[in-house]
Parts: sequence; C-alpha cells; structure tokens
Amino acid sequence: MTTVQSGSRTTVNVNGTAVEMYSGGSGPPLVFFHGAGGSNGWQAWHEDLSAEYTVYVPSQPGFNGTEAPDWVKTIHDVAHFNHMFVEALGLQDIILMGSSMGGWVSAEMAAMDDHNIDALVLVDPAGIKPREGEIAEIFMVSADTRLQQRFHDPSQVENYENYSRELSPEEQLVVHSNAIMASQLCWKPYLHNPSLPHTLSRVGTPTLIVWGNQDAIIPVECGHLFQQAIQGSQLRIIDNCGHSPAVEKRSEFVAAVTGFLNSL
Amino acid sequence: MAHELEVFWFSEQPYGHVTEDDLEGWESGRMHFPNTYFDPEKAHVLYSNYHDQYQLADEVNFDGIMSNEHHSSYWCMKPSVNVDAAVITQRTKKAKIAMLGNVIAVNDPVKMAEEIAMLDCISGGRVISGFVRGTAVETLHAGYPPTENRPRFEEAHDLIVKCWTQPGPFRWEGEYWPHRMVNPWVVPIQKPHPPVWFPGTGSPESVIWAAKHRYPYMNLGSLLDLTKQLKGIYHETAAEEGYEAGPEHFGYLIRCLVADTDEKAQEIGRTFLWTENHRNRGPMEFNDPPGYQSREALRIKMSRPLIGTGTMGRRMTYEDLQDAYNIIVGSPETVTEKLRHIRKDLDPGYILIYGNEGHMAHEDVMRSVELLGTKVIPALKEG
Repeated sequence: MTTVQSGSRTTVNVNGTAVEMYSGGSGPPLVFFHGAGGSNGWQAWHEDLSAEYTVYVPSQPGFNGTEAPDWVKTIHDVAHFNHMFVEALGLQDIILMGSSMGGWVSAEMAAMDDHNIDALVLVDPAGIKPREGEIAEIFMVSADTRLQQRFHDPSQVENYENYSRELSPEEQLVVHSNAIMASQLCWKPYLHNPSLPHTLSRVGTPTLIVWGNQDAIIPVECGHLFQQAIQGSQLRIIDNCGHSPAVEKRSEFVAAVTGFLNSL
Repeated sequence: MAHELEVFWFSEQPYGHVTEDDLEGWESGRMHFPNTYFDPEKAHVLYSNYHDQYQLADEVNFDGIMSNEHHSSYWCMKPSVNVDAAVITQRTKKAKIAMLGNVIAVNDPVKMAEEIAMLDCISGGRVISGFVRGTAVETLHAGYPPTENRPRFEEAHDLIVKCWTQPGPFRWEGEYWPHRMVNPWVVPIQKPHPPVWFPGTGSPESVIWAAKHRYPYMNLGSLLDLTKQLKGIYHETAAEEGYEAGPEHFGYLIRCLVADTDEKAQEIGRTFLWTENHRNRGPMEFNDPPGYQSREALRIKMSRPLIGTGTMGRRMTYEDLQDAYNIIVGSPETVTEKLRHIRKDLDPGYILIYGNEGHMAHEDVMRSVELLGTKVIPALKEG
C-alpha cells in the first residue's frame, strides 16, 4: 500500500451528489466529519494520523465543494447521507471521527447504526444540551467574536494568521454559504437534539470523547454528559485548550487518539 | 387609462420618549434594548395622537394610509399591522388602507387570510394587503430559523391567496402549514382579492419576486440612484414575464414634513434623524443572520453590482439627506417643488409620506398633514 504524503482532493459520487473529499495515508479507514464552519481541507493533524490510518476528510452536504441534495435539511438527514457516503466508498469497519457539529453528526450516525463502526472519536461535539451552562451563540456574532470563541490561546495555533486574515470575495462566499447550511441544520433546537442522550444508549462501539477544558463554545460539562450517555466511553480532557484541540493542541490530541485506537 | 398618482400617509408610530442617552451602552438598539424603557401610560397618549393624525389625513384627502409592523423596536409601536388597520377602518371613511405589511412567514397564514378578509369587509374594500418578509429581527423575535423565512414566506403567500380565491374546503399539503381542511368563512369583498404590495430597500431579489407576481413594488426610501436601478430591474423582469410595467407598479416612501415656513420645517424636520444611528446597531448578523438571505440572493447581488443599500451604513448629515432628496422638509411650495422632482425622476404611481418621527410635537405633525392634504397634494396632482 502506498502512502500519500499530502491529502489529495477527489470527488465521490454519493447517489448522484458529488462529494468533495481529501484523503491520504494507509492503514485502517478513518473518516473525519468537520464542524459548522465547514471543511478546512487536509490539515497537519490529518497528515499525522495518516501515518497509521487511511484518512478520509469529506465536505458534508451544503459545505465547501459539496452541494446539498434537496432532501438534506436536518442533522439526521446529514447523518443518513454520511452513512451513504461511507457505503459509496465501500469502507468496512471504520474509525468514525467528528468535531463540533461533525461530532454531533457522528454521534447520530452511531446511534442509527454502528455495526460498521469499529471506533468512535468525538471531539468537542455538539448535540447534547448542557444542564448548567449554555452553548455559545455562534451565528449572531461577528467573525472576530467567533474566532475568539474558538481558540483558548491563539499563540498555540500554528499559522494563526490563516484564521484571522482577510478573505477573498470567493472565500467569503464559501464561508457565507457554509454558514447558511450550518444555520439550516443547527438553529432550532440550537446545536442539540433532545433525544440524543437517550438514543446513544444503544451505541456499543468503543468511544473516545476529547474535550478542550476551556471550550468557550460547548462547555466541557457536555463531555461528561456524552460520557454518561455512551456506555464504556472514555473522556479525555485537554487542559489550556479551546474548542479545537486538534488545531490548538495538535500533538497531545494526536497522541490521545492514537493511544486510544492502539488500545483496542 | 393612465394611472393617477396616489399619496399615502404613513407614521411608524415611534415611542418618541427614547433618547440617544437611553440607547448608549446597549449592545443593539433592538434585541438588547430592554422594554423597561416602555411606559404604557405614555404609549396610550401617543397612540391616541397617531390615530388623530390618521383621521385628519383622511379628512384632508390623502388617497390612503399606510401602516406596518415591527417587533422589538422602540421606533415602531406596532407589533400587529392588522390591529392598526382595524383602528384605521374606524377612524377614516374613504382612505385606502395599505398594510405594508403582514409578516406572513412567521404567522399562521389561514388566520392572516381571515383577518385581512375581515378588514376588507369592515372597510368596504379599502384594503391593500402588503406582504413582507420582515427584517431579520422579526424572524428572530418570532423564534424561527432564518433559513426558513423565504420558503415560509412563499408558502404562506400561496396559501393566503388560495384562501381568498378558491372556495373551501380544500386540502393544503404544505411543508410548513399542512392542513387537512381549510375553509375560512370570511373572504374579501374585493375580487379576486385585495391588491397585494411588496416592499423592499435594496435587495434585487425582492424586486424580481414582486415583478414576477405583477405586484406593485414599494421602495422604502433608498437613495434615488439605487431606486432607479431597482425600478429598472422591475421593468426588465416584467418584460421577461411578458408585460409592460408602469407607474402603477411602483411606489416610493419618502420622509417629508411641511410647516408654514421653510425655517420652521427645517427645525422640526431635524427630528427625522432621531436615534438614527442606534436603530440597526449591533452585530451585522442581527440584521442578516446566516440563511436569512438565500444563496440565490447572494448570487443575484454578486451579478448585479449596485451602488449601495439605501442609506444604511452611510454617514449622511441632515443637509446631505435633503440634497439627496431623501428627506424633504419645507413650506408647501418648497415641498411641492421637491416632490415634483422625485415624481419626474422616478415616476412613481404611489408616494408614501413618512411624515412623523421620534418626539415631533403632535401639533406640528397635524399641521403638516393639513398642509400636505390641502396644498401640496393638490398642487402635485396638477402636475
């Protein structure tokens, strides 16, 4: 099996919808679903994981280069669609990973049908409403506020200027278009599904939940609620870290994930 | 037959006791500005004044009265345009009643159809039924996802028109308001249904929607150059649809105050800028949360570069706004001249007079209504 050094961009036909995808590496299949901001393509931590796994990074329907089919209007629809995506690739026994909104979608996928999922990794997932705090407003705030919410300490973020720089009109259109889809999927109920804590009780897949201790968007309290909802799951809290541990604490995050997967 | 100019009176019914100082320090002028600043006793007096102004406008021969609806807004105390229209039916005898309009995306369309039909019957067929998407705040206030505003608007529109035009009972397999049986007892007196208007400020998508339905488009006070471009889009769309648009398809809202002298009008008219900088203050996403504008609207905007979006976001002084014909104040002669300029420039079939603002004194507004009705409008209609 050849190792792809950098993720290559392809499209995958899912029942007539062309799904944009980056992929690379070799080994067991690991599928990653992005958050509400959309796909950032092939990232350094994907490269890290691709040393041991074949990593697939699709743009979900309505985000980036993937059009949303007319029927995809809810998180459940996205979860069904993502199952079709995995089937279209012909992947068996996958490691399913998702971050934020993508973590929510991954949790819904596992609750629907986890027979093809060998391991589940949820990274600061949305989907469960906190009991004490609140999920922060992400739609009715400025881009600057959104960026501040995301990272605990920008100095820990490699190439931070990529997140804070001025966007070209084409990039702005993608960002805006992604926001429209996220708004469609997450507005009401806001970034959660009241049934999810209950439907997750059927999940038997080994599960790792990773959370940034200083997550300013989805409070770490939700990590404990996920752990309670999924039998036998492990919760790994990374300190001095915000909503995106894979970006802000890359090596710690990658070590946590590979350590978990190697223990199975 | 050529369409004759019609002039409408409009007051947003502001809660004029709010000051700049009150608004300072709150994150936005709408969702965050707390309603503890609202005094119902003071509102009682204000409503009464505004209704007196309606009655006078009818008596001095305004062709119609326009009303509207906003929520979470200190500058518009009308959370229900239908309630205000009900008042107008009772305080006026002959004026048309233009509702601009019902925020149909966030209301039960069958009840909307019934209420508007009821108003049409009560008023003897004087109702013009505007439909609006509302500002984004109206949708946020009502608790609906912004992405649903456009499809809800479309479905509500179709269902309301069907309630008015198709005998009941009928089934409605809608996405948002599915009904097994629809059978409203009260239907409009005007046939096939009351005229429908559609407003806009700067969005080409709104103009195109109005033109495709052959509904008159009311521009809410954009600058003249932009308004002319939007009107051009209406005419283009009409041509594509196979009809020729005329003045009867186009109206224009203008802030306007008349006093006995230019000097006095200049002084009173300054209140048109009352708390202007606070109205839509707040994160941009309050006025345009993701999904309130469709991808299609974004595409249209990118394909048709316009000079701006009304006056919002521009720092224009009272004098600048007068030079741009965006605010018109003066003696009857001065105002007549300026409105003639607008008429020549835009050729609107309807001029909607935004005639009251903030803490303007009731007597001053009443005098303005009187001078408009007895002097300006007759002179304007003469040509």
